[in-house]
Amino acid sequence: MKNEIVHFIVNGRPYEVIITPNITLSELLREQLDLTGTKSACGIGECGSCTVLVDGHPTLSCSTLAIAVRDKDILTIEGLSNREALHPLQQAFIETGAIQCGFCTPGMIMSAKALLDKQPDPSTEAIKEALGSNLCRCTGYVKIIDAVTSAAAFMRKGEK
Amino acid sequence: MRSLDPFDYFEPEDIREASELLSAKGEKACILAGGIDLIPRLRKRMLEADHVINIQKIPMMDSISFISGKGLTFGAMTRLRSLEKSSLVQDEFLILYEAIHQIASTQVKFMGTAVGNLCVGTPASDLSTVMIALDAQLTIANAEGQRNVPLSEFYLDYYRTDLEPGELVTHVFLPIPHNGTGTAFMNLVRTRADIAKVSVAVSLSVKNGVCSENRIAVGAAAPTVFRASKAETLLKGRKINTEVIQEAAKAAAEQTQPITDLRSTAGYRKEMTRVLVGRTLEMAHERARLQDEEAHP
Repeated sequence: MKNEIVHFIVNGRPYEVIITPNITLSELLREQLDLTGTKSACGIGECGSCTVLVDGHPTLSCSTLAIAVRDKDILTIEGLSNREALHPLQQAFIETGAIQCGFCTPGMIMSAKALLDKQPDPSTEAIKEALGSNLCRCTGYVKIIDAVTSAAAFMRKGEK
Repeated sequence: MRSLDPFDYFEPEDIREASELLSAKGEKACILAGGIDLIPRLRKRMLEADHVINIQKIPMMDSISFISGKGLTFGAMTRLRSLEKSSLVQDEFLILYEAIHQIASTQVKFMGTAVGNLCVGTPASDLSTVMIALDAQLTIANAEGQRNVPLSEFYLDYYRTDLEPGELVTHVFLPIPHNGTGTAFMNLVRTRADIAKVSVAVSLSVKNGVCSENRIAVGAAAPTVFRASKAETLLKGRKINTEVIQEAAKAAAEQTQPITDLRSTAGYRKEMTRVLVGRTLEMAHERARLQDEEAHP
């Protein structure tokens, strides 16, 4: 196995890193790029906490080889805010109290982002479907669904 | 969490290069398509790979195309999500849409490929069950060229397929069902995110109330997904009614070789095969009848 110099675009910023092919996207983000907002839990694609967007699609970074997504557009939770204000989804999760321990939150928000990018006014059913593989082990999903609904409403208002 | 063991990594540019690499690298070479099955299995050390061959960069492998009057074909990189959203699939292959739609994980549908799912070889694949009922044909590439295999003959044993070292599935073909054909798919699961205790898919062609052709596929009730051939033979040429359907359902249950595990007991799986085959046949019959009436009002 050889080291390779690979280029990545994460949150709009180019990176050049030396990696081996067995490094997953979650390991690249957390351990080499210090983007620890993306969480790593089950490691086998079942919990959704490592979800990031690759070319806009919700992707399990624990089950993705980093080398396979070089030169693709990768978006993590760190890329959501514009550094001045939180993204409406982040703000809504705080205001609705959709966070307890917070470990599932980045994955939840990235899955919700992928949904709202395509469907600005999703039904509760559509939200449940989009978050169907993001597990919360603290409390429940009601406030999380409320948060996505209210962020969607806020974002629609902003666009008018 | 443990990292993956080291491997060499390749990105072939076409199918020929991929199958040459596969043959040259031997048994510890693995194909990477969506990664949904491969990466977790590598992490859990259920599989060893010295060479990973990523086929994501091969052009046109993610296409879905319709051959007029014949059927639908899609490539090894076609994602579950693309099939689920395809109007061709929704219109002509309803049970394929239903089987993909009930998969709980959006991420899995965006990343995972249908061919990858078929190639795992698990008996609990809803997709294999549905595609056997739809008479799917696989195109397999190897060093000599290619060969075609019906999906119903692809599964040899538990997690064992007909793929020889150096071979990979490149395409799947689904023939358009004849007029007067109804299909149905049902499974039993503990929760939506879990794999099935039993799954059943059927395709039933009816002409003037008589069964002209049928396929009954049963998943998670034997070492492989299988066709309930005795039940199929029993139905063919018979006038379809509840009694005949119940007879066929019983025959299908007799053909299971279920196991007891944390999801279910063997006895329950067998009994539920009977129930689900009965219900899917009733539903397919109803759908076929509606079609037949549309064709001959």
